[in-house]
Amino acid sequence: MKIHLSVLAILACTCLLLVSPNSFAQQISVEITIPKIKVQPYHKPYVAVWIETRKRQGVHTLAFWHEQKDWFKDVRQWWRKIGRQQKPAYDQVTGATRKPGTYTIKISSKELTALNLSPGEYFLNVEAVREEGGREFIRQKITLGASEIKQYEKSGKHELGKVTISVTP
Amino acid sequence: MLSASTLIKNIATLTLALSLPLTAIAHERYILPSHTVLSGEEAQSVSFIASISNAIFHGDKPLGDNGKGVVPQKLAPLFKRLKAVVISPDGVSREMSWQAFSRFSVADTQLQQSGTYRIALVQGDVPMTTFIKADGKKGRFFGNKGKVPSGATNVVKRTTASRVETYVSFNDPNNTALLPTAKGLELSGETHPTDLFVDEALRFQLTYLGKPLHKATKVKVVQGATRHRNQRDEAIIATDAQGKFSLTLSQAGFYLLSANIDVKGKAGSGIDIHHHSLYATLEVFPQ
Repeated sequence: MKIHLSVLAILACTCLLLVSPNSFAQQISVEITIPKIKVQPYHKPYVAVWIETRKRQGVHTLAFWHEQKDWFKDVRQWWRKIGRQQKPAYDQVTGATRKPGTYTIKISSKELTALNLSPGEYFLNVEAVREEGGREFIRQKITLGASEIKQYEKSGKHELGKVTISVTP
Repeated sequence: MLSASTLIKNIATLTLALSLPLTAIAHERYILPSHTVLSGEEAQSVSFIASISNAIFHGDKPLGDNGKGVVPQKLAPLFKRLKAVVISPDGVSREMSWQAFSRFSVADTQLQQSGTYRIALVQGDVPMTTFIKADGKKGRFFGNKGKVPSGATNVVKRTTASRVETYVSFNDPNNTALLPTAKGLELSGETHPTDLFVDEALRFQLTYLGKPLHKATKVKVVQGATRHRNQRDEAIIATDAQGKFSLTLSQAGFYLLSANIDVKGKAGSGIDIHHHSLYATLEVFPQ
């Protein structure tokens, strides 16, 4: 009986270790608007969406829309935190630049779990840079691992329109 | 409107007869002087940087070369068409020697006479034809040897020309070098371009072929160091029907003033549109 109990205890502990603290089923969705800008010539903006720790360490790129590598460094905040070291790798989330409109970028609960993050506060960053145009950087503190839905709204003034971030358990 | 980058790309493509990958070449142009106002009894020197760059006054591609510099293959045809000149206070025009480096070109000039000098890189008319292909896509070629594909519509014969310049005064400024050369689009006006101060109304006038520009257009004015600002903060100023415009600047620094016009070609000339652009670097001092 004694042996049986201790085995159970070990099993229980192992289970707890597996589940916590790194495991929380959540998904993040970021809705961003690229505004129409009436200029000639108009270049579609380079856009990066990524997560950082509170200490500004790059965690994960959710999206990176670009054209040529020569201009990656102009996405300045993303470049210094993730791009220039290519760490964490972001090649899975790259795509061509997009025309003005509203886009939703998602990271599924499965993908987020794979990042092995501790619950707590992070920063969700959105940066947009347009050739022969301006640059805009939006930064929002988010909480991961909460039991209720969290929604954050931000608004750009120049290169970005409305940015809505939803963290769903 | 076709950009200078497109122009460079296409001249290169034509000359090399190769289809090279199209890389982005920024298209603002400027000459940045070390000084615009100098004094003294002995001759003075001024050094200049010229570049094709969207980061205003930060170099990206060179502009101009004397045969001794590092010229990107794609820019060589453009450089061959550039005339580098300095007009002295007595109105005499001399050739200037620019040398290309990777990110900008460099030149020096000696100022012997007192008065105002005008330093310019001038690109004369480059022929270009644009059209809409049978499949609806835009097409174009540079020079006179290209062929319009069969079925193409909206065929427009054009020329493009540009003037990039700045002004330097040694001792007392004068106006001789500023008189229009009567070629293309030029800057003129009441305000002397080396006597610019913040919070004062600056009054200029655009001329075309040496006469007031009888056409309302727009002038763009942007302060240098766009790389260090999130917004370019470009001021767009409308000219009146004589090409006149005025502006007041609140910050001292170097500014790039630019303007573009399209002029209809004369009937029978074989050209539909003449495109002209002007880039002038101005230095503004604090009160």
